[in-house]
Amino acid sequence: MEWIEIFDISIFRSLLRSTAPIAIVGMAAALCSAAGVLNIGLEGKMLNAAFAGVYASYTFESVWAGFTAGIIAGLLTAALFGLLSFTLGADEVLAGLAINIFSLAGTTYLMRTIFGQAGFFSDPRIVGFEPISISFLEGTFLQPFLSDFTYSIYLMFFIAISLHIMYYRTRLGTAIRATGENPEAAEDAGINTVRIKWLVTVFSGFLAGISGLFLSLENLTMFTEGMSAGKGYIGLVASSFGNNTPFGTFGASLFFGLGDAIGIRLQGVYELDSRLILMIPYALTVVVLILIGIRQRLRIRPVPISES
Amino acid sequence: MEKFSFKDVLVTFAGLFITSFIAWVLISATGNNPSEVAMYLYEGGFKGTRNIANSLYQATPLILTAVATLISFRVGMFNIGINGSMYVGALYAGWAGYKFTTLGHFTHVTVCILIGMAVGAAWMLLPALLRVYAGVSEIISTIILNFVAVLFVSYMANGPFRADPIAPSTARILETAELKQIFPNSQFNTGFFIAVFVAILAHFILNKTTFGYELRSGGDGLVGMYPSRFSSYLGIPSDRSAIIGMLISGALGGLAGAIEVLGAVRYFFQELEFNQGFDGILIGILGKLEPIGSIIASLFYGAIKNGGFYVDYKTDVSREIIIVLISVLIFFVSAQKMVKGLEKYPFIKKMDNFFSRKKM
Amino acid sequence: MSKDSIIHLKNITKEYPGVVANKNVDFQVNKGEIHALVGENGAGKSTLMKILYGIEQPTQGEIFINGEKQIISKVESAINLGIGMVHQEFTLVPSFTAPENIGLGQEPKNNQGLIDWKGLNKLVVDIAEKYGFKVDPGLKMIDASVGVQQRTEILKTLYRNANILILDEPTAVLTPQETDELFTVIRTLVDEGKTVIFITHKLREVMEIADRVTVMRAGEVQGVSEIKNTSISELASQMVGREVFLQVKKDEAKPGEEILNVEDLWVHDARGLLAVKGINLSINKGEIVGVAGVEGNGQSEFVEALTGLRKTSQGSIKYLGEDIASSSPKNIRRKKIAHIPEDRTNTGLNTQLSIWENLIGNSYFRRPLSTRGIFNLKKIAEHSNKLKEDFDIRAPNISLKVKSLSGGNQQKVVVARELSEDPVLTIASQPTRGVDIGNIEAIHEQLVQMRDEGGAVLLVSAELDEVMAVADRVAVMYEGQIVKWVNPKEVDQAQMGLYMAGIKE
Repeated sequence: MEWIEIFDISIFRSLLRSTAPIAIVGMAAALCSAAGVLNIGLEGKMLNAAFAGVYASYTFESVWAGFTAGIIAGLLTAALFGLLSFTLGADEVLAGLAINIFSLAGTTYLMRTIFGQAGFFSDPRIVGFEPISISFLEGTFLQPFLSDFTYSIYLMFFIAISLHIMYYRTRLGTAIRATGENPEAAEDAGINTVRIKWLVTVFSGFLAGISGLFLSLENLTMFTEGMSAGKGYIGLVASSFGNNTPFGTFGASLFFGLGDAIGIRLQGVYELDSRLILMIPYALTVVVLILIGIRQRLRIRPVPISES
Repeated sequence: MEKFSFKDVLVTFAGLFITSFIAWVLISATGNNPSEVAMYLYEGGFKGTRNIANSLYQATPLILTAVATLISFRVGMFNIGINGSMYVGALYAGWAGYKFTTLGHFTHVTVCILIGMAVGAAWMLLPALLRVYAGVSEIISTIILNFVAVLFVSYMANGPFRADPIAPSTARILETAELKQIFPNSQFNTGFFIAVFVAILAHFILNKTTFGYELRSGGDGLVGMYPSRFSSYLGIPSDRSAIIGMLISGALGGLAGAIEVLGAVRYFFQELEFNQGFDGILIGILGKLEPIGSIIASLFYGAIKNGGFYVDYKTDVSREIIIVLISVLIFFVSAQKMVKGLEKYPFIKKMDNFFSRKKM
Repeated sequence: MSKDSIIHLKNITKEYPGVVANKNVDFQVNKGEIHALVGENGAGKSTLMKILYGIEQPTQGEIFINGEKQIISKVESAINLGIGMVHQEFTLVPSFTAPENIGLGQEPKNNQGLIDWKGLNKLVVDIAEKYGFKVDPGLKMIDASVGVQQRTEILKTLYRNANILILDEPTAVLTPQETDELFTVIRTLVDEGKTVIFITHKLREVMEIADRVTVMRAGEVQGVSEIKNTSISELASQMVGREVFLQVKKDEAKPGEEILNVEDLWVHDARGLLAVKGINLSINKGEIVGVAGVEGNGQSEFVEALTGLRKTSQGSIKYLGEDIASSSPKNIRRKKIAHIPEDRTNTGLNTQLSIWENLIGNSYFRRPLSTRGIFNLKKIAEHSNKLKEDFDIRAPNISLKVKSLSGGNQQKVVVARELSEDPVLTIASQPTRGVDIGNIEAIHEQLVQMRDEGGAVLLVSAELDEVMAVADRVAVMYEGQIVKWVNPKEVDQAQMGLYMAGIKE
């Protein structure tokens, strides 16, 4: 087996699939961090959306019912976070943490109680998203690169571009960045920073919802206990590595996605323990954290005395 | 850290009341009988020697993880990775439990516990150093290490440490390494006394010694306060305090894992699942980041957790309901503005003043 | 009331739990005037202006703008009424450029609803030219000088069509020369029909720039006068409620042997830039050496280097003959060097801890407060209660968290701790910032007492009056260097102003 054979078209597709959930939740994290909200609770939002999506899709046998329910679950969890942090004065980290613990236990409880299943729940009645084939690309060389993906892959690009425009070309974007960097300055400019924080939190609930739905209703149609598996946290790291910008976060997520995709591929090629493969994204996260640390240290470079 | 005040107690009880109401709704909504659940919860938690012993057994690791949490929080660090320390501590304490064959009972138990603690502490070294020397958020790094820990111990139990050809588990620990179980049909073991002793020791060290003062000088709030200018200004190296605090925190997580293996499970296997590291965070907060408060909160949590198992066994209601409810309770307790808002009522203010009178 | 009254705050009372910040205040400003609002720290000026600017709501009272009653419930309403405020602490976004800061929240949009950055830049340059400013549209605020930042703040209010500008202590961070430039700007603004409210406690400036002045003390208005009908001494007595202001009773210093000798000291700041560039200084037993200068000229880094909080990059710091450069704060403290830091809430105190826990910060390790690492809580209580009494810390008990104390009492906790262990050298940095006048005097007396008992004192302060009144010898710092040594008795304020601007002769 040659190394070069690992890199083919299927790894490109697998790269995008691995990147999408991290990138989408990562951009939610970036948006929050840009506005000065440390949103640890994204993990819980993903999980609740994933479960609500499966539950509604199973109950109504409709993927759009699942989509709607998932988004609502994401938004409600976000509202809970906002209520605790901004209205009731809870510490953001604690509120996020409590929400994550609540969501993990809550979805597990509901799955076990409603479906009587432990571990995972899968049923033919659960309708998932179908891949979209782009007709005008059919037969062209672009088809394998760009066609026949599920929604979130396309959404990922759309979200990144629209967020970028929003950040740098709209009043809302400057207001968000000002709120994160200097809330007093924003307040002084007549910007209601609490409203901005609420807004990004609710919108992050929407994005985390999409990311969660990707896990449970695309590719595989099932719910697994704790299936978000830290993607919310990895998203936070991606946003931090990408300086809380949409494109930066997207780039960092691609790095995580690549590690994941290569890992999956290697598993087929070499006989590696699956647990070690599963560890790759987390190990990469630790590596990225170390890189962030090195970058922070390098930023400060003393001016030599002789220059003055 | 603010000591318990009347309004905190009030909010906790009001939260409990509302939480019970939510539980009632949740249980009814999923087609079960709430009063039946409440009865089983009570029976499982408090009725008879065996249930009480089991409740205390459940409380054992919680006391330790809660103290581990509060120590890290009070030095100004947010250690969310105690669960990871617990896993690796359990794995290596178990390994020491069958590996050293020539030791006497006391020595063997001590060695196993110390190894578990050392490994648990070592697990926290990287996040501590990253935070102190590179400014990388310990919140994220410790959370990520939790995921690494689960996969790592599972890999070890499957690979290098695997002893059983059929099931992925290590060898059973030797009798010399066991923490003794005291009651028949209960996993309650002498580890409980270790946990209580550790919590009391933590109380003493934090509040009554110069070492504890140096640890706390840079923190003592709910928010991550490291790095503290105050400590370095006084000549107390706040970096060192932060690292030591994280290592103690990890060591106590490792101790919790070690006691689970030495006192209850007796070997490490792949499916062994811990979440006391996360529960400990909730309990630490419920106990207002005080070791004694954490003992009380752990006993309470241990009892309803054991009751939850009984409910799970007797009815269709899954035991996760307990964690759901505790986290809802945390929502109330952490709502600082609500707690502060109570001050505008003269009666509560008066009661607060009455209970907060001090010698000093 | 005069009919061209543009602002009238009528009978304003503002109560916070336990404090009355404004009591039946009547404040009236005429259109097109420069109106000074003066008073000591804590006199209620800021609260009054926060009410006018919609940041705070009055407990009682009415606001009239242009003769019409208004309720200003938020900053937005104030802006819509044509009120603009330049805060003492600038409210700028560091990574934004001047136009981005100026336009924030009200950027012009193009046809697609997106921000028209080019249009904004042009708009800003146009406004700047109209009032005789220069502006560099590409410069990020993090790289801009204090003067430029202040002008950006003023432009921000003009961009939002402010007719009434509130300037809160605008000269506190400026050199006398920069202050002159600011005054020219203010006069241009008034010529263009704007009204300016100028908050300060520097009476000389009031006499120079204002048309009318309102004096506040302890939350109440003490008097309103035309500048031409009043004098500095009259304003001063209204402001402090007694004739003398900042006179420190002290005898001639009797300097003894050398305690501290700093030679060619170079220090980098947190961003890696050079903050201290070759300082030489010595302090003797029994004298107070002052360091004057506009803030941000390396004083903070200098003090941090002396106290071990910052590594030195070059040079020596000899304390009683021993080099302590880059030694640890612990080593330095154990040699009986006390440090009252400029930043009280984060450095001088841990506000999460109780009063006693803060008071024992420099003594907890010694007998009898602790033995072999274990606290003797009884002795600690005795020690802390004695300090509480000696330094007049007003609190019901010493178990109270420091964060519940007032600023002045918090500072007393710091001073009490630092002066409690018989220091040989006391380094006091901005020791009276945010402290009320009565306590300022007490702190000054304590510093003089340290000196008279044979201690050496280094007093670093941006308050020129303070340094001149308390110190025996004064060094003026500018851009990391000592530009001049002066005898405070032989130099006047105008000369000091030149030195503080870096002009040596």
